[in-house]
Amino acid sequence: MNISKIANLKFFYTKTQRISIYLSFSTFVLFCIGIYWGLFIAPEDYLQGNSYRIMYVHVPAAWLSLQTYMIMAVTAFIALVWKIKIMEIISIQCAPIGAFFTIIALVTGMIWGKPTWGTYWVWDARLTSELILLFLYIGVIVLYSSFVDKRQAIKITSLLSIIGLINIPIIHYSVEWWNTLHQGPTVTKFDKPSAHITMLLPLLYMFIVFNLYFLAVMIQRIRLGIYIREKNSKWMEDLSND
Amino acid sequence: MINILIKKELSLYFRNLNNIFLPLIFFFLIISIFPLVLGPEKTLFNKIIPGVIWITAILTTLLTSNNFFKEDFNAGIIETYLTSDVSIEIVLFIRIIVCWIFTCLPIVIFIPIVSILFDITFQSSIVILLTLVIGTPILISIGIFGSALTLGLAKNNILTPVIIIPFYIPVLIFSASAIQSVSAGLPYDMQIYILASLLTLVLPTMPYLLKYTLEISINN
Amino acid sequence: MDDALNKIEISVNSATCYKNNNLIFEDINIELKNGDFMLIIGPNGCGKTTLIKSLCGIQKLEFGNILINNLDIHSKNSEYIENIIYLGHKNSLNNDLSVQENLEYLSVFDSSVGSNNFDKIKNAMDYFNIYKYKDYMISDLSEGNRKRTSLARLVLSKKKIWLLDEPLSFLDNNILDSFVSLIKRHQANDGIVIVSTHYDFSKSISNVKYLKMETK
Repeated sequence: MNISKIANLKFFYTKTQRISIYLSFSTFVLFCIGIYWGLFIAPEDYLQGNSYRIMYVHVPAAWLSLQTYMIMAVTAFIALVWKIKIMEIISIQCAPIGAFFTIIALVTGMIWGKPTWGTYWVWDARLTSELILLFLYIGVIVLYSSFVDKRQAIKITSLLSIIGLINIPIIHYSVEWWNTLHQGPTVTKFDKPSAHITMLLPLLYMFIVFNLYFLAVMIQRIRLGIYIREKNSKWMEDLSND
Repeated sequence: MINILIKKELSLYFRNLNNIFLPLIFFFLIISIFPLVLGPEKTLFNKIIPGVIWITAILTTLLTSNNFFKEDFNAGIIETYLTSDVSIEIVLFIRIIVCWIFTCLPIVIFIPIVSILFDITFQSSIVILLTLVIGTPILISIGIFGSALTLGLAKNNILTPVIIIPFYIPVLIFSASAIQSVSAGLPYDMQIYILASLLTLVLPTMPYLLKYTLEISINN
Repeated sequence: MDDALNKIEISVNSATCYKNNNLIFEDINIELKNGDFMLIIGPNGCGKTTLIKSLCGIQKLEFGNILINNLDIHSKNSEYIENIIYLGHKNSLNNDLSVQENLEYLSVFDSSVGSNNFDKIKNAMDYFNIYKYKDYMISDLSEGNRKRTSLARLVLSKKKIWLLDEPLSFLDNNILDSFVSLIKRHQANDGIVIVSTHYDFSKSISNVKYLKMETK
């Protein structure tokens, strides 16, 4: 808790108030545009018809779920090694956001599965990996919430998420292996639709929008994390008295 | 030094023989529940026996490693570990190995009896044995890591399994697939090699990881 | 003879510790050198145990630092860990091992004891009158005898810095005398003793420093 680090948190907290509001608003607008683009403008897929359009939510959510875990683990590592407070906050706030993306990816995957496979759930490699990723996120969240001392909690969960990151490729590889071994008749290409540029452009756009959404939520959550941690400190009291 | 450490661990286990027999009895109990639930069809068991054996192995290792450090933590021995000037990694390594010898090795030894109960072919039971010998040390190490993570908590009954079971998945997949491959007459050496490389990755790094985790857990 | 020349200076500078955002202790300053005896005294809950743990390096400080011969105890080349022996208020004994086995096991964690130490362990048990219990399991002993077993580690060890957390609990008076003379012997050997206690037993000890702690 040395002076420069407090100043750092304070700096972040006071400077980002405006930014986060603008960012949230513009993300919402951009998201609506993307949804319109994906649902109405992009051409129909000649194999899957209109059901493929859920990909514009599913695929970015799945990417973001992995990316968030990576950010969580990398910031956890930085927090453990260099003891930077804001990194601790970023790392732990990644977990609920990442879990949210994972749930979105799972649910949209299931919705897509109904017309494609005839059932909501098939144990295919992607969905299974995504489910395991959800378990990893849940592990981090429950571990963090069971500690009373949040500063110890953050160190312990940092360790867990770093080990988790090492494990994700191994888990992914093993699930792929398992899937090819038990290959059913229902394997379809989901992430690689017969790609046409008019279909891929909205996908890329949605990926960027999802990243913006991540950033907007992240900033809000960091501010919340800073508030919880520093609510007894003098600068926070001064700020709320103003 | 090492002989005193080993002597201590051995005498602790031998003084309380329950420590050795209970995991084994637990293993057999769970294994025999499956036929009662699923019915005694032989063809079904040929298909599911790898899964049954490995799920039972998971449960056994989870239960035995769940409170691995708890007693020592309550007695203050972990504090002695961390204020000591000798290398604690060796102590932790010996403790992992001894824990494996007393909880998993009995199961491995009794696999022939399981083979008789479920009419497993000789070659399959050799592979089951092999995957257990390579796989269970990984499970035990990860389980002990989980117990170190939750050491600072007053109660952690079901938390540790929830956190670490996802980490068990690769070991499970490769072990079960090796057993299935051999019963289908396919080559299984690839899976064994992967398991072995996981073991060589986990076992040497685990003592260092454990020491670091204990340091964090104790600093509350 | 090397040990006698071993000069040690401990300085604690404005140490402050928080647990779960609660202040445990604040702005503690300590200067100690060879032969010093420090008594950390105060009521329950004033942070004595946490301070002792910080001095062992297993509890991190929020502000301030602890230096040994001008090196931070957490820095890599610090000789600190080679010089301390810590006796917590938990006895660090294994219930399912006998007194002798426990002492053998604990001496593994103290490189100053050395190997083939059966005679030393016998002496240590004699010093605190527990030789007759040597084959008793710890779970069969009284609290006082457990404490004596724990203190016997001090007779075994050649470490310079003793960090003792509430060593007096459950001890009767004649053992207290031999404990005090053990401390004096250690001081004479240029050792440093840091004790947390709620009872001042330092009447006959020289070079005493006091640290009075208050409940926050």
